[in-house]
Amino acid sequence: MSFEPKTAPFSGRVNAVTLGTGDNAIVIGGQNVLPFYTFDAPIENAPKIGVEVSDLAASWDVASLKEFYAGCTTMADYAKKAESIEGCDFICLNFVGADPNGANHSVADCVANAKAVAEVVSKPIVVMGCKNLEKDGELLAALAEALAGKNVLFMSAKNENYKTVGASVALANGQKLGAETADDINLAKQLNIMLKGLNVNPESVVMDIGTAAVGYGYEYAASTFDRIRLAALAQGDADLQMPILAAVCNDTWGVKESTASEADEPVWGDREERAISMEIATAVADLTGGADAVVLRHPESVATVKKFINELI
Amino acid sequence: MALKGLDIFKLSPKKNCKECGSPTCMAFCMKVAQGAVSLDKCPYFSEEALATLNSATAPLMKTISVGEHKLGGETVLFRHEKTLVNKNLYAVCVCGDCDADAKLAEMQKVDYERIGERMYVEFVFVRNKGNDPAAYAELVKKAVATGRDIILECWDVECAKAALAVAGKNVILDGATPDNWEAMNAVATEAGVVLGVWASNISDLYDTVKKLEAAGNKNLVLDVTGATAKETLANAVLVRRTALKQEDRTFGYPSIVNVAKLAKGDSRLQTAYAAMFTEKYASIIVMENMTYAQALPLYGLRQNIYTDPQKPMKVEAKIYPINGADENSPVALTVDFALTYFLVSGELERSGQPVNLVITDASGMSVLTAWAAGKLSSSTIKKTFDELDIANKIKNRTLIIPGKVAVMKGEIQEKLPEWNVVVGPLEAVQLPKYMKDKEYEAAAKAAAAENAAKAATTVEVKELSFDELLATKVPAIEVVDMGVQYKGHNPESKTFVTIGERIHCIAPTIRKAMDERDPAPILERAAAQIKAGATYLDVNIGPAEKDGPERMMWAVKLLQENFNNVPLALDTANMKAIEAGIKVYNRTNGKPIVNSADAGSRIGYIDLAAANDAICIALCSADGIAKDNEERMVHCDNMLERGLSLGMSSDDLWFDPLFLVVKGMQDKQMEVLEAIKMFSDKGLKSTGGLSNNSNGAPKHVRPIMDSALVAMCMMQGLTSAIVNPNDLRLMETIKSCDIFKNHVLYSDSYLEL
Repeated sequence: MSFEPKTAPFSGRVNAVTLGTGDNAIVIGGQNVLPFYTFDAPIENAPKIGVEVSDLAASWDVASLKEFYAGCTTMADYAKKAESIEGCDFICLNFVGADPNGANHSVADCVANAKAVAEVVSKPIVVMGCKNLEKDGELLAALAEALAGKNVLFMSAKNENYKTVGASVALANGQKLGAETADDINLAKQLNIMLKGLNVNPESVVMDIGTAAVGYGYEYAASTFDRIRLAALAQGDADLQMPILAAVCNDTWGVKESTASEADEPVWGDREERAISMEIATAVADLTGGADAVVLRHPESVATVKKFINELI
Repeated sequence: MALKGLDIFKLSPKKNCKECGSPTCMAFCMKVAQGAVSLDKCPYFSEEALATLNSATAPLMKTISVGEHKLGGETVLFRHEKTLVNKNLYAVCVCGDCDADAKLAEMQKVDYERIGERMYVEFVFVRNKGNDPAAYAELVKKAVATGRDIILECWDVECAKAALAVAGKNVILDGATPDNWEAMNAVATEAGVVLGVWASNISDLYDTVKKLEAAGNKNLVLDVTGATAKETLANAVLVRRTALKQEDRTFGYPSIVNVAKLAKGDSRLQTAYAAMFTEKYASIIVMENMTYAQALPLYGLRQNIYTDPQKPMKVEAKIYPINGADENSPVALTVDFALTYFLVSGELERSGQPVNLVITDASGMSVLTAWAAGKLSSSTIKKTFDELDIANKIKNRTLIIPGKVAVMKGEIQEKLPEWNVVVGPLEAVQLPKYMKDKEYEAAAKAAAAENAAKAATTVEVKELSFDELLATKVPAIEVVDMGVQYKGHNPESKTFVTIGERIHCIAPTIRKAMDERDPAPILERAAAQIKAGATYLDVNIGPAEKDGPERMMWAVKLLQENFNNVPLALDTANMKAIEAGIKVYNRTNGKPIVNSADAGSRIGYIDLAAANDAICIALCSADGIAKDNEERMVHCDNMLERGLSLGMSSDDLWFDPLFLVVKGMQDKQMEVLEAIKMFSDKGLKSTGGLSNNSNGAPKHVRPIMDSALVAMCMMQGLTSAIVNPNDLRLMETIKSCDIFKNHVLYSDSYLEL
C-alpha cells in the first residue's frame, strides 16, 4: 500500500484583519492551517512585512542603513524611503523616542510627524507606542484621532492600560487595536476577553504575544506561538483567534550579536551581516511559529524574508 | 506509545492464576499499561503475544546513532507537549566543483561554546557529482581529515564503495533511491553505516523505506529535500506527523534537509530556511557554508528550541569579566538561570563599567526562587567563591549582591569576611545607572568600616551542643491563651491530613518574627490555622544558615507548648535545624514531618528522618520537574528503597508528585493526578503543595480551583496536602471527600466537626 498523506485544515480559523484603506489595504491572518502548511489547505493571506520607521532613526549606527536613508531628516522622509523597499507591505511608525525616560518627544511632535507621514505614504500604517504605560495612553489616543479614517493598527493595549487605550483607539476612533502580553498564553487570552468586555470588536484586534531574539530565551516565545496557534485552530478558541504581529526589530537590534563591533569580536566578522542575520532568523522563527506579520528594520532583511515567504506560500 | 490495558488483556493468557500477585489477568494488564508492573512478571504470555506487544510499545521514531551523535528519537511534534530530545545537527556541503579545502578551512573556524554547549558543524556533506570513484574518494579524504562525521551523498554504487573505503565508520551513506536501493542497501549494510534514503516524491520515499525495512535494514535516515522549499517543508512535516500522529513507523526516522540545494548561492535565504527547519523537523540541516553570522542566530535558536521545558537553562558558574574587567574591578553576583544571566550581563554591558560578574550555582533557578529553596545561600556562594578561587583571582573586594536577597547580606558577610558586601538594585534594568553612578563605592566603604569594627571585637565562638543552645539561646516560652486549643490527632486515622502552610518565612511578618523571636505573629497565624482545622502545621524558618538550630527549637517549643503539642512539619534547608527541632519535639499527636527530601541534592533528608524516627516528605524530582511519570516513579522507587533500607516504615514516606501551576503547565495537570494514583496503587502515602496549581490566579478563583483539584486528588488516593487551612471552601471540600471515602461517619453537622 502506498503512502497517502493525511492532510486537512483545522475547523478553527485565524481572524482576517484588514489594515489600511482602498487599493493599498492589506489583510493579515485568515488561515485555518499552521504556518506555511499549504499541504493541509491553501493559505489565503501570506504573512506581511512591515518596515520600521523610528523617531530615533537618526541614531542608528549601521553604515548601510545610514547610506540607504541618506538625506532623510524627518519621519516622513524615512517613511517615504521605507515604502520604496521591495517587499515592504506596511510602514511601522515606532515612537520609541516618546518615552519620558528617554528622549521624551512631546505628543504634539509625534502627532505632527504621524500626520506628515500619512501625507506621503500610501501603504498601511502600524503605530508602535513608547511602552511607557502612562505616556502611551495619551500618545496613542492623540495619534488615533489624528490618523482617523486611515484604518491604522495601534500597538498596544496592555493589561495595565487596556481600558484607556482600547477606548480611545478602537471605540472612539474605529482603528485596529494591538493587544500586548509577554510570553503568557493565559494573559493573552484574558486580555482579549477584557477587550471584548470593553466592547472592542474581536475582529479588529491583533496580538503581540511577545518574542525575543533567537538565543535569548526564545524557547518561551516559540512555545507561546505554538500553543496560541493550536488553541486558535485545533481547539477553536475564539479568544485566541486574533492574528499575531511580531516586532522583531525591537528584539534583535539590541543583542550582542547585532551590536558588538568587529574590534570587540574579531572572529565574528562583519557586524552588519550579523545584525541582518539575527533579524532574518528571528523573523523566520516567528513566522514559522505563527506570526502573521513581522516588523523589520534592515532592507536586506526585508528582501530575504519576503523571498522566504514567497517561496513557502 | 502507551498501550491500553484492554489491548494487553486481549493477548494475555486469561488464566487468572494470581502468580503475578494480581487477582486477575485483567487487573495485571491494567497495571502493566500504567507502567506499575513489568510484563515479565507473567510467565505465560506466548512468544507471539510478546512480539506483538514489544513492537507496539517500540518508540514511534527511532534514534539513529552516527559516531557520538544521536538523531531522531522524538516523541512529540511540539516542544511544550513534553520536550524535544535530539537537537538538529549541521553539515556543510562540499563537491568536486568547489574549493573544498577553502570551504572546510572556513567551516572549522566556527567552533565556540555557548551556555555549556559546543557549537560547530558536526558533519561534512560530501556530494558526488560524476562517476569517478577515485576522485570522489580523494574528496572524501579531505572531509575526513577535518575529524567531523561524514554524509556521503552518492547514488553511484562504485563511487559509494570507494568513498566508504576511506570514510571511516561515522558515516551516513545518503545514497538509496527507488532505483538503486537494493545495491545501496548491500553496500551500507556491509560497511555497517547508516543508509540515507531519497526519492523525488514522498510516496516513492515511503515505498522505498518499506522495501528496505522488508530487506532487514532499519538503520535509516530520510533525505526529505524536495525540489522547492515548499515541497521540502511538506515532506518534513508529513514524515514526522505520519510517524508520531498516525503512528506509522515506516516514517519513524530522522530526516536530512539540504538547504544548500534549496537556496544555492543565497546564504541569507539559507539562514532563513535553516531557522524554519530547526523548528520544523530537520534532524540534519545541510548548508553551503557556515559563517559566524549564520551560526550565531542558528545555534542560539537551536539551543532554545531543544531546551527541555521542564529543566531550566543554566549557564556555567564562573567569573564573566564584563567591559574589560580585570582583577581590580568590583564583583557582581547572580544566579545561573540563563535568562537571569542574559538580562544581568546585558545591563552590565550597557553600563559600560568594568565589572566581574560571578555566576553562582543555583540549580538554574531565578534569584528569589533559589533563595527560598535554599539553592542560593551564603554557603552555596561561599562554595562558589572557594571553588573558583575568586579571592586570589580578583583583588577588588567589593561584592554586589542582588537587591532581592538583601536579607542575605549579613550571612554572606559572615561567610566571606574579607569581602565588602553591598546590596545592589532590585531589578536588572536599574544596573546601568547604579554602575555608572558608582553607588556601590560608598556602600562598600561603609561595609569595610563595619567589617573592621567587627574584626576588632570578634571572639572565637565554639559550636554549642543542642542542649547548650537550648539552655542559653532559646528564650523561655510563655503560654498565651489564644482562645483555641488543638483537639488532638490520631496518627492511625485515615482522614486526610492537612498541613497548614501559613507559618512561612517568605511572609515578611513571619520572617521578622522569627528574626526577633517575637511570638505574637506566629501564634496568631497558628491559632487561625488550628481553629480552621489544620492537622499539622508547617514551620518554615527560612534558610536559617546562621542560627537555625536555636530558631527551630524555639519555634517548635513555642507552638507545641501553646497548642497542646500540635504536630509539626519542620521546613528549612538547614538540616541541623531540623535535627534540633526534633530534639525538643513532643510526639503525642504524631511524629514530626521532615519537609522535605528530594531525589537529588536533598536525598540526605531521608537519612535525617530515618535517624530521628520522623515522617519525611519525598519530592519526586531531582533537578527540576520530573519530565514524566516514568521519571517520577523512578525517583519514588529510589527514595522508597533508601528509606526502607534505613529502617523506615513505608508509611513514613509521603511522596510529593510536585503540584504544577495551571497558568503555564495546564497540560501537565492530569499527569500529576495519574502520579498520585500510582503512589496509591503502590500502597504509598502522598502529599504536596496543592495550592501551587492556582498560583497567579485571581484571589476569588483560587479556592475554587484548589477545591476542585483536592477532590480529584483525593479520588486518586492523595492522603495529605500542604494547604492554607483558612480557605473555608477547600477545608469543607476535604471534609466532604472524607465522608465519601468513608473515612468519617456522616452526621448532619459533619462540617462543624
